[in-house]
Amino acid sequence: MATTTAITPVKYWSGGKSPFNVEYGKLMMWYFLMSDAFTFGAFLIAYGTTRFATNGWPNPNEVFSSYPFKPEGSSPAPLIFVSIMTFILIISSVTMVLAVHAGHNMDKKGVVRNLILTILGGLAFLSCQAWEWTHLFHEGAWWGRNPFPNADGTLSTTNFTNFFFTITGFHGFHVFSGVVINIVMLLMTLGNKFEQRGHYLMIEKAGLYWHFVDLVWVFVFTCFYLV
Amino acid sequence: MSNETILQSTIGVTIPSEIDNHEEHVHHHHESFITKYVFSQDHKMIGKQFLITGMFWAVLGGLMSVLFRLQLGYPDSTFPWLEDIIGKWGKGGHISPEAYYALVTTHGTVLVFFVLTAGLSGTFANLLIPLQVGARDMASPFMNMLSYWFFFTASVIMLSSVFVETGPFSGGWTAYPPLSALGSASPGSKTGMDLWIIAMALFVVSSLLGGLNYIVTILNMRTKGMTMTRLPLTIWALFFTAVLGVLSFPVLLSGFILLIFDRNFGTSFYLSDIYVNGVGALPNEGGSAILFQHLFWFLGHPEVYIILLPAMGMVSEILSTNSRKPIFGYMAMVGSLFAIAILAFLVWAHHMFVTGLNPFLGSIFVLLTLLIAVPSAIKVFNWLTTLWRGNIRFTPAMLFAIGFVSLFISGGLTGIWLGNSALDIHLHDTYFVIAHFHIVMGVASMFGMFAGIYHWFPKMYGKYLNNNLGYIHFWLTMIGAYLIFWPMHYEGLAGMPRRYYDIGAWESFKQFADLNRFISTVAMIVFAVQLLFLFNFFYSIFKGRKLTTKNPWNSTTLEWTTPINPGHGNWVGEIPEVHRWAYDYGKDGHDFIQQTTPIGEDESIH
Amino acid sequence: MEQHSATTVLPHGHKPDAAVKEIWKVTGILTVLTLVELGLGFWMMGMQDETTKHFIKGAIIILMLAKAFYIVGYFMHLKHEIRNLIMTICIPLILFAWFIIAFLYEGNSYNNLKNKYNGYYKEHSSQHMEKKEEPKPAETKKPGAKD
Repeated sequence: MATTTAITPVKYWSGGKSPFNVEYGKLMMWYFLMSDAFTFGAFLIAYGTTRFATNGWPNPNEVFSSYPFKPEGSSPAPLIFVSIMTFILIISSVTMVLAVHAGHNMDKKGVVRNLILTILGGLAFLSCQAWEWTHLFHEGAWWGRNPFPNADGTLSTTNFTNFFFTITGFHGFHVFSGVVINIVMLLMTLGNKFEQRGHYLMIEKAGLYWHFVDLVWVFVFTCFYLV
Repeated sequence: MSNETILQSTIGVTIPSEIDNHEEHVHHHHESFITKYVFSQDHKMIGKQFLITGMFWAVLGGLMSVLFRLQLGYPDSTFPWLEDIIGKWGKGGHISPEAYYALVTTHGTVLVFFVLTAGLSGTFANLLIPLQVGARDMASPFMNMLSYWFFFTASVIMLSSVFVETGPFSGGWTAYPPLSALGSASPGSKTGMDLWIIAMALFVVSSLLGGLNYIVTILNMRTKGMTMTRLPLTIWALFFTAVLGVLSFPVLLSGFILLIFDRNFGTSFYLSDIYVNGVGALPNEGGSAILFQHLFWFLGHPEVYIILLPAMGMVSEILSTNSRKPIFGYMAMVGSLFAIAILAFLVWAHHMFVTGLNPFLGSIFVLLTLLIAVPSAIKVFNWLTTLWRGNIRFTPAMLFAIGFVSLFISGGLTGIWLGNSALDIHLHDTYFVIAHFHIVMGVASMFGMFAGIYHWFPKMYGKYLNNNLGYIHFWLTMIGAYLIFWPMHYEGLAGMPRRYYDIGAWESFKQFADLNRFISTVAMIVFAVQLLFLFNFFYSIFKGRKLTTKNPWNSTTLEWTTPINPGHGNWVGEIPEVHRWAYDYGKDGHDFIQQTTPIGEDESIH
Repeated sequence: MEQHSATTVLPHGHKPDAAVKEIWKVTGILTVLTLVELGLGFWMMGMQDETTKHFIKGAIIILMLAKAFYIVGYFMHLKHEIRNLIMTICIPLILFAWFIIAFLYEGNSYNNLKNKYNGYYKEHSSQHMEKKEEPKPAETKKPGAKD
């Protein structure tokens, strides 16, 4: 009988164990993230398709050119605020890795400290997004309303704002649920749940989700603000 | 054996949580009615829940088709009783045009998603995966339970849409905008569409929860010795089905989310340059209805394989068991399933050849589409060669399996016609398409489902279904299915369009009036025959002949090593170890050798 | 890579310090990549030449993929998982290739069709649009604007 297992010295596929050397929850999280990648992928591809199917598109550098407490009359500052948001998310990802790492070493204190930092990072990102949305709303942008002309000054469609609010909103929703998950993880850690179980694998799964949120932002950031 | 010690040391983190899981099941004996029959976490019970909900929908969906066939077959007759059952939708004994479109739409949605996706793969993935891979239950029984209850909620919402004042959604099961995006476009586009889209979103969640579970269970929870190449083909098929679902349903979800924004929040993702009678010109600019079609069919095409693959897997298993021969070309079968799964993602736009699709892009889609013929043909020839010179037992399950092969060939061949973009200019949106997809996907998968039910009913309920009723069910359904759908090819070739309320409005299609009446009559008879099956099913649950042996079909696979009525946890004591593949029939003078039998010393190599 | 993954099947296989060091190294790389992206973004702003702009956009997309690689590989730990897992994650993602190509090609083709056959579309999308708010003095200096 032909078996693929004969090739490798360690028989991962022979049954009775995980062929990936991971427990089922982590595998499930990975495949869920694959699925979610297709959700976001479909959004971004739909956005790209619409952009390709439209004459002209607003210039993001004109639209996203403000930041909180920007002095009245100062020159526009594109990319500044969104790069701060990007760094916040990257740093929160780093603290999440550190939390997972502390979990591996059964270092409860480290887990708690880094989880708190991650949650703060997530909240900071959400606040930034809330500010940006409010700012755009006051400029007249919303679903179905687009005050920004195309880069060449021609009449734009509303799809620029439609896609922007939908996709960043969907991402923001993911960040929000990630924050909620992390808060639950924090409470469970503080309640010594993982100490009793003898492992911090749950934190690892929450971490995967959080990094995925960061990953999606890499794509959203590039697609909406840069290109 | 020396390997075992090495393996034990590399397992590391994986073991603790799985052991937790299993022990929980073994000690799970005190069950109330609620935990045993309603919020059950036992995969076998969840499978039955999916099956019975699916059967409910199949009856309802079938009944809907009977009603609209009434209109198509007898456009000039009146049926006063219609007004009694569907009220204003059947005023004067005529089905109203609105009701006709609502029935067609709901029939499609219900049969495709609720019966042939949830009812088919939901049932058999739940029932068979843990039993055939040798696991106590799914990886996450809780998520598995949620999967059913999301499906149930989706069902309730979809059903409720039938009863709202403006009627259920009536723009076709594909829900193309603008009919689906504008409430003012048709009566069904109002509340009916809201409920439709909520139900479908919940359905996507259900299929995601289920699919993740199926994949992880198959990969991670196989019993000792159950390598991937020792898995029965049912499991391979259900595995690829789940992968298709997990990767394609989210794209549909994205499409739906954009649709919801178009419906409720004034966006124009799918809308541009629209004038609605009675409303006037709409301000929406810049969207494209074609975008929705792309997103929809990116799911929609994998969806037809989500429907078909489980049937293929079960048919492979049943053909082999009842031919008393190993399946012919096991690796080719797995490979062709894999090829179909990949190609399923690459061919979606062949549903859209006449939408203004770029012809160059279309030609690539033609090429990719026609490639599907290769793995499909491999499968067909392997089924036929499995039957070839077999010692065939004509059980009802076997008959339905052979019927599946027949239907798959007849329906598949017309797929080669439709896959050509040039021919599609003539054939699109005609009854030829209806005939094609009903035979190859609808009826064939129903046959796979019936085969599976007849074959695994003893495992589900510890009773047999009545064979004679099974034979009547098979022959009448088989003959009826061909009588219904075969003539539609001719109507379609003559250009008769689908989805039309009254075909007789065209002089050129008046010649088909008799044929349409004939088709409608057969459809009603076939529907009545299904009620016979329903009777058989429910009667046999309570009064059927009891099983006296664990392995009624002399089959090799693991599910037949469990007790006749297995409890939650499936095996008493340890899960058996597997020593061979699933198809050792007629080997070395033995009729069959179960997978749990160790390889004998002088056994010939397969 | 196979040898590497065969020896580090477990997270515990790392020396703690080495792991933390790796995290900070990857953080550094991500920061640098983002800064380069931003630099390219700023450089692109005043640019008139469409061809160069396209090349820069391509470069930004490559940098984006590099960032994705580092996040998935190191933060999500995929690079240290065994090869089987890496493959089941990466292979399905190849499906995105045709997904993206077909959709964008079709979008572009749809636009060409509209420009060719829909006179209203072309005329409408070349109309000048007034910005709602009155232009502030600072805004005339906006980089990359219409002129």
